[in-house]
Amino acid sequence: MTATWALACPRCGRAALLEAPLGERGTVVAFTVLSVPGDEFLNDAPYAYVVVELDGGGRVTGWMPSIKSEGDLAIGARVHFVPGYKPGVQFARDADAPVPR
Amino acid sequence: MREAWVVGAASNRFGKMKETGREAATRVAFEAIRQSGLEPKDIGYTFVSNCFGLTEKQGHVGPLINGGLGIPEVPSCTIESACSSSSAGLHEAFVHVAGGFLDAALVVGVEKLSHLDTLSATSYFAEAADYPFETKNGATFPGLYATLASAYQQAFPMKPEVLGSVAIKNHANAARNPHAHFQKEISMDTYLRSPMIASPLRLYDCCPFSDGAAAVVVAAKEFVKHPVTEPLVVRASARAGSITEMQDRPDLLGLPASRAAADTAFRQAHLERRQIDFLEVHDCFTIAELLALEDMGFVPRGTAGTAEVDGVTARDGKLPVNPSGGLKAKGHPVSATGASQVVEIFEQFNGLAKGREVPRTDTALAHNVGATGGSCSVHIFSRR
Ligand SMILES: [Zn+2]
Repeated sequence: MTATWALACPRCGRAALLEAPLGERGTVVAFTVLSVPGDEFLNDAPYAYVVVELDGGGRVTGWMPSIKSEGDLAIGARVHFVPGYKPGVQFARDADAPVPR
Repeated sequence: MREAWVVGAASNRFGKMKETGREAATRVAFEAIRQSGLEPKDIGYTFVSNCFGLTEKQGHVGPLINGGLGIPEVPSCTIESACSSSSAGLHEAFVHVAGGFLDAALVVGVEKLSHLDTLSATSYFAEAADYPFETKNGATFPGLYATLASAYQQAFPMKPEVLGSVAIKNHANAARNPHAHFQKEISMDTYLRSPMIASPLRLYDCCPFSDGAAAVVVAAKEFVKHPVTEPLVVRASARAGSITEMQDRPDLLGLPASRAAADTAFRQAHLERRQIDFLEVHDCFTIAELLALEDMGFVPRGTAGTAEVDGVTARDGKLPVNPSGGLKAKGHPVSATGASQVVEIFEQFNGLAKGREVPRTDTALAHNVGATGGSCSVHIFSRR
């Protein structure tokens, strides 16, 4: 995924941005399981919205349709990118889906 | 810089308005001006906030309000800063009055959402988030604060009763506020049994979708001369910004904009935290009240829950927080919220907060956040 929304770093202000490949796996640092979604996720609830610290650096936000209740996920859980069926960034638990090598 | 005063502040009852946003805005503006002892023709500029006016098929609402007040020749503009819109308007009014560019200014915030269903309202609220990064990944407004709550709980484990105690306190305060959307107390049992909206936030952790309108009149001390009410001296009017997106924040504990705005405000006011008698803070969700108290330096990080449970923040506590009932129970008509915090402080200073008086009313602070912390206003007021 290429993101061109930013022309400078929101943390330090430097405009010298580099493109870098992101790791495909990571660790959940914060999450919520939503039972009341917005209109674009009407048929997907409940699901988790997650903030993931990627292996090799960088954080991304994404969502996990496989998570149906708070007990299905924990901070510290290992997750990885999976091809999504919607425009968002989709993750699955390592325990639930094939892990990219 | 000149001394600027809040000389009038009025609100309608939050909840469900029959009239249009524009009508409600005109009504509260008229009332705030009447209270101030000034005439509409004394107003030099109207700063209006109405984030979701387009859902009523109405933009450019300032000239309509001014027309309804009999002052169509007065300039106006619309100020948008999500949930902190009308405190951003107040900041503009302050800057212009204190800077000598205006003698008096009107700040109006209004929102009407009750003509929308929950799904549409949820979706409109989410539009203050970062659309490609947050909304496209399923975030909602409660979902984003719930994400912050999960990170907070990880760092500082707490029982559900802690957030519950915030909800119970603010409902108890709102039950004594005729402007409030919810005018009934709730029990811990009701709180704990309310459905999960976005874990760990339950229904009673969340502010309601409210209609409402509030208006504030700011004027230069030298222009007012003989105030007819007890004015609020604006000791500080500070705004700050911080990274909006969850994934770009250095950490997820608190909202950096709250800290920055509060630090600036206390520097401007030459006051210490302990000199503040009571607070109106941005508690769109119960977790947000804990974050506000910690971010602004009233309690150390990780201890706001204990302060809440111990009654420090109760109406008769050492540091009353949200005697109005807060966004949580007074309601959160997005663009009206910032102005309505000032209404509460005005009523407390003027002995109009019958049945919900706080013990000391010499100095108060209002804290108003835009969305999840992309923007924040902090105002400090004191008596003459
Ligand atoms: Zn940087």
